[in-house]
Amino acid sequence: MAEISEAPEGNITRKPGTSSEPHELDSDFDLKTMRRTKPGLKRLFLTLSVLFSFLLGFPFLWKSVEIYRSPLPFRDIDLLSCQLQSDPILFPFNFQAVFVGFDSNPDHLHQSIRGEINELTLPNPKCGITDNYTLSVTVESSSACLRNSNAWPSSPCLYQCGAITGVDFDRNDDEAVDELLQSVFGGCSGSGGKMKEYRVVVVVNGENPRAVVGKYRNAWLVVDGSEVEDLAARVAEVFVKVFMNGGKEEGSIRNEFMPVGADGRIVLSFNLLNADPGDWIYDWDFQIIDETLLAPMIEAFGPVANISVESQVLYHTPKASFSHWDQKLKSHVFSTKDLPFFVNSNEWHLDTSIAAGGRSKILQFVVYMPSAKECPLLLQLPDGEISKTNSFISPMWGGVIVWNPQSCLKDSENNHAARHTIPSQDLENIFEVFMGQFRQLFGLKSVNHYLGASGLWDLLPSENSFTEWELDVLSRQHTCFNLHSCATTLGSLSRLVQSLPRMIIMDEIGKQVKLSLEAAKLAQNNVSFGAYELSAASSRQARSMAEDAFYHPSIMSVSYYSFEHCFAVYSPFFLPVSMHVLLAALREMKRYRQEKAKYLAWKAKVKVA
Amino acid sequence: MALLQRFIFLLLFMMTYQLLPCTGSILEEEFTEELLLKPLPDRKVLAHFHFQTKAPPSSSNGRHHHLFPKAISQLVQKFQVKEMELSFTQGRWSYERWGGFDPMPSNNAKPPGVELWAVFDVPQNQIDASWKNLTHTLSGLFCASINFLESSTTYSAPEWGFPPASRNLRYGTLPREAVCTENLTPWLKLLPCRDKSGLSALLDRPSIYRGFYHSQRLRLISTGPGLGGMAGIILEQTLTVVLQPNGRRTIVAHSGEAPVQPSWSMSSIFGRKVNGRCVLAKSSNVYLQFDRGLAKELKNHQNENKDSGTNNLASEDFWNNPGFELSVKPDGVFEEINGLHSESSSVLYKFSMEKYSESEPCDLSFKWKIPVVWSCKQAPLHATRFLMGSGNERGAIAISLKSTELTEGFLGANSVDDGCKVQVNIFQVVPWYVKVYFHSLRVSVDQQLKAPADVIEKIHVSPSKDKVSPGVMEMILKLPCTVKSASLSIDFDKGFLHIDEYPPDANQGFDIPSAVISFPKFHASLIFPKDDSLNESPMLSKFQQKNPVMSYTEVLLVPLTTPDFSMPYNVITITCTVFALYFGSLLNVLRRRVAEEERLLKSKAATKTNRLSLLLSKLSAKLRGKPWEPPSSPQPTSSFISSKLVLRVILVAGIAMVWQYYFS
Repeated sequence: MAEISEAPEGNITRKPGTSSEPHELDSDFDLKTMRRTKPGLKRLFLTLSVLFSFLLGFPFLWKSVEIYRSPLPFRDIDLLSCQLQSDPILFPFNFQAVFVGFDSNPDHLHQSIRGEINELTLPNPKCGITDNYTLSVTVESSSACLRNSNAWPSSPCLYQCGAITGVDFDRNDDEAVDELLQSVFGGCSGSGGKMKEYRVVVVVNGENPRAVVGKYRNAWLVVDGSEVEDLAARVAEVFVKVFMNGGKEEGSIRNEFMPVGADGRIVLSFNLLNADPGDWIYDWDFQIIDETLLAPMIEAFGPVANISVESQVLYHTPKASFSHWDQKLKSHVFSTKDLPFFVNSNEWHLDTSIAAGGRSKILQFVVYMPSAKECPLLLQLPDGEISKTNSFISPMWGGVIVWNPQSCLKDSENNHAARHTIPSQDLENIFEVFMGQFRQLFGLKSVNHYLGASGLWDLLPSENSFTEWELDVLSRQHTCFNLHSCATTLGSLSRLVQSLPRMIIMDEIGKQVKLSLEAAKLAQNNVSFGAYELSAASSRQARSMAEDAFYHPSIMSVSYYSFEHCFAVYSPFFLPVSMHVLLAALREMKRYRQEKAKYLAWKAKVKVA
Repeated sequence: MALLQRFIFLLLFMMTYQLLPCTGSILEEEFTEELLLKPLPDRKVLAHFHFQTKAPPSSSNGRHHHLFPKAISQLVQKFQVKEMELSFTQGRWSYERWGGFDPMPSNNAKPPGVELWAVFDVPQNQIDASWKNLTHTLSGLFCASINFLESSTTYSAPEWGFPPASRNLRYGTLPREAVCTENLTPWLKLLPCRDKSGLSALLDRPSIYRGFYHSQRLRLISTGPGLGGMAGIILEQTLTVVLQPNGRRTIVAHSGEAPVQPSWSMSSIFGRKVNGRCVLAKSSNVYLQFDRGLAKELKNHQNENKDSGTNNLASEDFWNNPGFELSVKPDGVFEEINGLHSESSSVLYKFSMEKYSESEPCDLSFKWKIPVVWSCKQAPLHATRFLMGSGNERGAIAISLKSTELTEGFLGANSVDDGCKVQVNIFQVVPWYVKVYFHSLRVSVDQQLKAPADVIEKIHVSPSKDKVSPGVMEMILKLPCTVKSASLSIDFDKGFLHIDEYPPDANQGFDIPSAVISFPKFHASLIFPKDDSLNESPMLSKFQQKNPVMSYTEVLLVPLTTPDFSMPYNVITITCTVFALYFGSLLNVLRRRVAEEERLLKSKAATKTNRLSLLLSKLSAKLRGKPWEPPSSPQPTSSFISSKLVLRVILVAGIAMVWQYYFS
């Protein structure tokens, strides 16, 4: 078709140039610069239409080879991490101070306590330590019951005057006092909504002055009539350092670390290691320990994490480093600087648990039974002292106790290859140490007193090994940890996704990221209401969703379709073809322009003529 | 003083010993270790390690353990495994030479690579999910690619063809899995003493892997919900190796007759000695077993020498036996109670490891004094499997069964009876890309083609589905006792795989897993006299179980047509180039004005000649030795071409630069 149509046109254009010249009157008609007919548009139109259809087709091709990428909310992710970085998660607190047997102005006291608290919290507001709190002060003297002016009198949580008298503190029974205070204030924690309230009761009683923090959310200070200003400092300190911060020292294990798995589970794996069963074999009755000692603790720990317990006995498990014989102590001494080499990961088969899901945190607790040639084995502190507990912890990993059997002091030949059971008394001691280690792994103190700047506070231990206020602290910490790790995980995911533009991203990942962000938002909301457990739960969900998205199997898949691959497939066709099309269009345009100029020149000439 | 100490020691010792039974009565986790050594007819030695750990039914199973490996217990709890067997094997058990009738080959000879089967205690619809999770867990536990058994194309659900016939059974094999130390180490990790002490200390890696056959097996039996729904677990770990003792010196001893078998000792075959028992083991014994054939030969020899009929191997004067010499005095000798085959019975020597220690290691050595030739007892029919046909299109699998001397002797006795039949079960799994035509099944007995219905009593076939499931064939054959040979053949077409489905090194070929041939009417069991010391041995009680005689056939290697893996790109490139050429020329034809261009060229040629082309033509003329003449024909002017060329080069360079700039 094209060739047929081409022929007449060629004839037409050529003929005037070649054959019509003699007929032409103008002798100066130059074939090279002029033409008489209008240049044809046919070819130009054709080449251009091909070019345009190609250009139009290109987006379709692009669309068809595009890989699927679910849109991720990058901005929300950035926003979340910015938010968490710029302002720390601040929980609101409710404090109540009750002064019994004092005669001073509550507003004045309120002022001074507030001042003290602000002084303690202001320098570094971080997770859990905040100046976002309410404080109510009640002063009960023999005649009057005064409250600070902006207290909320109808609140059921406020102290009803007369409920506590100085006489109650006469006895030296802290447990009873704790129970009494809980019964006085306890009605509020049940009905008063989500907000937890921390209370300090200051009582004048000359008998036996003391400062105790109970196992609920109460502390009491029995004084023999000292200055009210000093008391304000002490009250503020217990509020900030103990109730807010959990009595932790600065510089101990970092707050942000919580040995809790992304699925909110912890597996406590207890291991009894017999370094050399040829010398002696010790076994334990773990079932009983599990039921009596661990079960209450696990139950109390429920709001923070779901704990499961496993145990095993391993044999032929020497430690990885050597100890030296100390003549003075008549024992083998292992110094602190060698501790990193104590755990022998080649021989200690402290397996990960199959029963636990993939995301659970496993904390290993190890009882190390030294062999006869290194018995008794003692751990030496850096200052040369011998460790009282003969144990150490490794943050986020677990703890190790060295337990020396009694018999190693005697002739070890006696009990060759016989099986022993660790005496129950010793086993209890071991587990007390383990409990302390467990608390330390969470950053809590393992001693039962807190030495502040203004004085010593006794911490009343709970039978569950975690007091209520400590669990509150852990919930808050857990929330912070989860939110931070959620933000980092999502941040790295978004960076990864943005850096690999040809990576396939499944819808599921997008959904998980969205859910994670929603859960994080909910957690932040709950934080602002002061709902510790709820915020811990939703933050945990946010973290696990974020990790689900990050570790989604499709992200790991190898079959990601690189741009080079795409180019290699399509270039053999598109490169030569596009060359043809482009060149044809360019040439045709050039020619058309030339011919048109010729025609115009001729026209002008004709006109002039 | 020393006397007093000794007294106290004795007292304590007695006390602990008296206490032990008390604690033993409360069910405790138990561990036993045993080693069976057996000389083989072809100058080799079989070593069979048997470790058994038992967890009694307890509510704390899976959580608290003292000896039993926690990982295994948790695995059983999590996937509700009722029974499971996992084996890693390298080499092939030679049924002709090493025997095919004993409990040893029936229970412990395994197909090369990995074999896994498991019976689950879960509802039918959850079995596949459990299986998949189990394969992943095991592959993590044993550092092996067992996770490839996850895909439904690799495992099957035999109905009755595989011995633990159960509806909840899944069976899968990986014939090509390489077995090495990284699989043995996690396996040893499950033992309380690992390879630190006891019999497992003999497992010197280089000597084991130098062996002719090596099979490491793990078997789990959940003893079923007993007390209040709690299940106990028995974990059986066996390692079977066939080793060649290094005995060049003794070969030349008797030049005239058959050479004396090489003498061996523990230290010569393993390179190590036993430094006492594993202190955690309830019992720790080494056994030396003489085959029925060997025992018979030795007895004959003894009778010849002494001419006194009372002498037998099991009596107390084995010590100065004329046939062989042991370096260690056995703690007991037992002779098999032989019901069926009265002509000979197997003999077992027991060596307790209790009395050995680090300072006094046990190095059991065995020295032949006379040359003995014997053969092991064979399975009723010896099975081999091979491929027929050639080319990459189709072929046939054939299983041939040949009678052995057992059938001749043992079955022949009964053959007076016409109705005498040998039952043979065949279980065969075929991957989906080997498309088997079940209608083409041909059976021939004694070289005569028979109608399949005459021989096959029962058959169950589940045809393969492409890329979904493998083909499974289970059948029961009834062959007459007088059978000399029988063969089955079945045709197949070779399928095509998708390019993604080819494994690396596809040209090596594809494996068809071993077929399992079992003889349900024949029981491989060795029964030893009831004796307390033997009864508590888990290995011997295993031997006493009446398991059917089983054998595995060879793995077949089927070469499939493998594509040229760069083919897709080649195809793309060629088609694209062709398309581009076509497109370009079409466009040119549409666009070009041939007449005008010619005219233009002519005029150009007339006006000016290119200096370069002129030079070139001059040069060529000089080279040819002809007088140069100016070009007259309308040559394509190179100035036009060169300008175009330059334009093109610039265009390409420009595109490349833009490309580079944009994408870097």
